Amino acid sequence: MTSGKIVIALGLVVAAVLLETTVFEQIQPFGYAPALGMLAVIAVARYLDPEPVLFVAFSGGFLEDLLGGSPLGLWASTFTIVAYITLKIRDREIAGPLVVLAGVFGLTVIGQFTYAVLGTLFGQGIIDRPGFIWHLLVPALYNVILAYPVFWLTRAAIRPQERTWAT
Amino acid sequence: MFPSGRRLDRATALFISLLAVGFLVATFDVRASGDSATTVLRGGAQTLAEPIQSGIDFVVRPVVGFVDGISNVAGLRDQNERLEAEVQRLEARLRETSALERRVAELEAINDLSPPEGLATVTARIYSSGPSTFDQVRFINKGSSDGVIVGQAVIDESGLVGRVDLVTGSSARVRLVTDPLVAIGVRVQDTNQTGAATGRGDDMLQLDMFDATEPVTKGAVLVTDGSRFPPGVVVGFVRETKEANVGFTLRTTVDPAAAFSELDFVKVVVGWSPLDADPETGDPLIDPPSFTDPDTGPR
Repeated sequence: MTSGKIVIALGLVVAAVLLETTVFEQIQPFGYAPALGMLAVIAVARYLDPEPVLFVAFSGGFLEDLLGGSPLGLWASTFTIVAYITLKIRDREIAGPLVVLAGVFGLTVIGQFTYAVLGTLFGQGIIDRPGFIWHLLVPALYNVILAYPVFWLTRAAIRPQERTWAT
Repeated sequence: MFPSGRRLDRATALFISLLAVGFLVATFDVRASGDSATTVLRGGAQTLAEPIQSGIDFVVRPVVGFVDGISNVAGLRDQNERLEAEVQRLEARLRETSALERRVAELEAINDLSPPEGLATVTARIYSSGPSTFDQVRFINKGSSDGVIVGQAVIDESGLVGRVDLVTGSSARVRLVTDPLVAIGVRVQDTNQTGAATGRGDDMLQLDMFDATEPVTKGAVLVTDGSRFPPGVVVGFVRETKEANVGFTLRTTVDPAAAFSELDFVKVVVGWSPLDADPETGDPLIDPPSFTDPDTGPR
């Protein structure tokens, strides 16, 4: 694993977070935006070694915290958890486009739910918001739609040596 | 060693360490107040990110506007007819209203009241939002160098947008009124009854009135009562009629006046602070500061 790949991976996650705050501030079908930063973390976690993945996820989440309105560390922890789960399931002998998309959907829901729980614990009052369930499901659905373009871009940028699940 | 006897692998150890750091930072950030290290960090990150975000926004906004325009062409003809009828109706009302306006102006002069439009403001452009769907914040391109400070109200042509809650030299974060952390003292314009409107985290507000004696009706206009925001700014419109029951809190929902999905330019009310207001009536106690701003001219 070269440090160049780690920098590229970090750059991808940072770019995703910046796009979330700008492009998807204006494009919100049905009032929701994709969790693009989280999708970038899932994509990166498919190709890099475990330790760099965790660092990239934590750093990307920390940037999301810095550019958002919630206490620092919540998105950092959330992204780290999502990256860790992705690392744990990526080498399973399961493949096929539907499995990958289901994985993206499930991981995004887990990430959104984790953030909601942490945010509520830290006084953000997220879980009891009306329509909370849609905040879990709709961004996850958008992530499914965006998954393959993001995975393709990540794979092209990082150029992994070996195949991982569903590549 | 784990209880199971398996060695803790490096990735898991790092994972646990990073989680611990995340929780520690979050706890520190929640407990910190004022110019803490986390505020400085946020300010620094915001300052660094602002040019990039503004650049992306500059490129993307016209494209989105163009696409929106094309997608709306089909409905424009119907809308035009509706608007023409509306204009005729409003022109008739305007003639009736102009006489009333003169009377209001006279009364304001007599009582030394100044409407929100008279307050000093700084015009700012929204260039970014919070990254996640849970965030109810927007970032504006004016900061402390323009006279913006934490706590100031942010409005647009429709009404109250939110409150400034983080400021750097050239940018500021606005927490929208729909955020559950924002509570607004409001007054029902028709009945003058007061209550509190709180964000719910979605596109509505919740209105609680603790000593309501009269019902609130659908469409009733809520304005700020002047306790934490300048008095008389439109907050929203009651969505659902509710009767008042003595001894019970009257609770209903409110549609915010501002259309948050269409925000572009906003005004920061720099000429008013909660300290300026009479805690009982919300009326201004002191005159707004007078300094010149390039957006609004001499104040």
